[in-house]
Amino acid sequence: MVKLTIDGRELEFAAGTSLFEACRVARGEALPHFCYHPDLSVAGVCRLCQVEVEGMPKLTIACNTSVREGMVVHTRSERVRRAAQQILEMHLINHPVDCPICDQAGECGLQDQYMNYGLYESEVSISDKVNKAKVQVIGPRVVLDKERCVLCSRCVRFCDEVTRTGELGIFNRGDRAEIGVAPGRQLDNAYSLNTVDICPVGALTSLDFRFKKRVWLLRSTPSICHGCATGCNVRVDHEAGTVYRLKPRRNPAVNGSWMCDEGRDTYRELHAASRLSEPLLRRDGELRAATWPEAWAALAGAAGRELPPGAAVVSPRQSLEEIALFAHLAAALGVPAAAIGGGPREADRGEGDDLLRSADLAPNRAALGWLGLQEPAGADLAARVRAAKGAVLVYGADPAADAPGWREAVAGRTVIHLGTHRNATAEAADIVIPLSAWAERDGLFVNRQGRVQASRRAIARPGLAQEDWRFLADWLAAAGAAEVPASLPELRRWVAGRVTALAGVDLAVLPPEGLVPDAVAAGSGGES
Amino acid sequence: MKGKVHGYGGKMTLGERLYLGEIFRGLGITIRHVIRNLLHTGDMPTVQYPEERRAYSPRFRGRHRLMKREDGTPRCVACMMCSTACPADCIHIVAEEHPDPAIEKAPASFEIDLLRCVYCGLCEEACPCDAIRMDTGIYDMAADSRAKFYVDKEFLLNNTTDGTR
Repeated sequence: MVKLTIDGRELEFAAGTSLFEACRVARGEALPHFCYHPDLSVAGVCRLCQVEVEGMPKLTIACNTSVREGMVVHTRSERVRRAAQQILEMHLINHPVDCPICDQAGECGLQDQYMNYGLYESEVSISDKVNKAKVQVIGPRVVLDKERCVLCSRCVRFCDEVTRTGELGIFNRGDRAEIGVAPGRQLDNAYSLNTVDICPVGALTSLDFRFKKRVWLLRSTPSICHGCATGCNVRVDHEAGTVYRLKPRRNPAVNGSWMCDEGRDTYRELHAASRLSEPLLRRDGELRAATWPEAWAALAGAAGRELPPGAAVVSPRQSLEEIALFAHLAAALGVPAAAIGGGPREADRGEGDDLLRSADLAPNRAALGWLGLQEPAGADLAARVRAAKGAVLVYGADPAADAPGWREAVAGRTVIHLGTHRNATAEAADIVIPLSAWAERDGLFVNRQGRVQASRRAIARPGLAQEDWRFLADWLAAAGAAEVPASLPELRRWVAGRVTALAGVDLAVLPPEGLVPDAVAAGSGGES
Repeated sequence: MKGKVHGYGGKMTLGERLYLGEIFRGLGITIRHVIRNLLHTGDMPTVQYPEERRAYSPRFRGRHRLMKREDGTPRCVACMMCSTACPADCIHIVAEEHPDPAIEKAPASFEIDLLRCVYCGLCEEACPCDAIRMDTGIYDMAADSRAKFYVDKEFLLNNTTDGTR
């Protein structure tokens, strides 16, 4: 441990800690900066984080300095303030200051620093700014404005160090220096939008989000990405019931500061035209909209006519609580234990890579294992369903599209589909129950590391759609089950009591980085 | 004015209780005003609205208009400052990409709900491009449906005052 004094406070840090991080702790806020990023190498090019260290003749940049024993650092002195002002003035010399049309306005580093360190009356003439290219589409998802760039090189370092694809570079020198893609190349790696996130100014903007919404109108809900088994921590940015974008939330244990471009697209399904907003019942061979009382009557009728239902299939895209409650419901309705399971196994196969993208696109497959549910392959699933008699319950999954032989297996039988979208299974079902999509309810998800993470409700459900656990609990009560959870915390306690991996875990107080239960961490529990 | 002002429970004098005298006195005041107004029509306080209109201050905030660039396209860059500043939440803008990269952003639609507007002028003040103004002097708005008060970009662009600037 190293002891040093920052702004009159004596603090201890591990040797090797960067002075920048030490100052962040001491001040309660970061030093002004553009180029420093905790998950990238130190570049030291923006010169904004200069601090005064006693015994050093000049100011020094905190990001490229390590803490030393007995250092006395001043971050709020007049000399430091003046330096930040002068450096910021330099950054603004060639900046177009076109905030009204800039998509970054509202979350811009330059704007934020200007409020604290602006000179307000610049000594530099605005007439001879260097003009550079604007609105350059440099990849399928990213737009570059070279005038707004402050050359912090974060995006260049990201492409060199994180994705190791090296599409971007700094070209020319002096005030002609500019960010650009190498000739004949595009910024088209699978993580390209992270460059937009880390761009402290409006030089890199997202083609998808551009001009859709001003950022100060958005509300953010911390959640997790449901695009694959990695479970990247994200922020859901939404306004008035519409989700506009997903942004990564820093969690060094899972995703660092990054997330993939495919994951960012997952918000679109929330507002897809096929989203179910009312119960559907098959009448005269066609699915028609119905009310909840009609749907309940149909559910009771289906169960009554064909009691007990023969098979139940749940998707690993549902939350831990929902899968557990659904399995419990299926058992209460009389489905044989062997016929309750996930699947089909080969659904949700993606490309995957060694960075974040997982080849398994289901965000909660580990939970199926924790709950002891089997996951047969498509053909096996169809065979298993064919062998069982009675109605078939499908929750979230789309076996009609993913399992070969499914349609033949369920021909002539009542199919009850609980889900969010009008997929192939819903189209062929007899009773379709509209439930919540991932951003419309709270839930726990187990990622590929066996880490339990919370997904939170960001927006309201459309139309008559219901919260999943409430619907399942209502059905349980209607089926005359003894154990019916009355609230989500109660449901979580009940789930924790049923899963051996969760023994002794309080699901009500998950740490911000998620929780790997001791039993999982000690055992073979999943890849990492 | 002479004479007592009576409150509740006040006593009227005998003359007042006889009524007739007071009625003629009142009539006299009315006739005096009629004659004075006939002789000095210029001093009459009544404005013969709508034929005659009172001159308003140039700072009067009337119905909004959108300013044009020299080529006739809206000056607005859809920055949403006005709709953010609007306390009545009556400005609805949808932005789009402008073909000219020097302009970059333009309004695809710009709608104001005039029935919600409180004519506070915060939108004018917030506008960084002087694109929205409330200087048309138009304050008498009538229509036979609410929908007609929901005015769009085309309406606002051609909603000029007499002295078009």
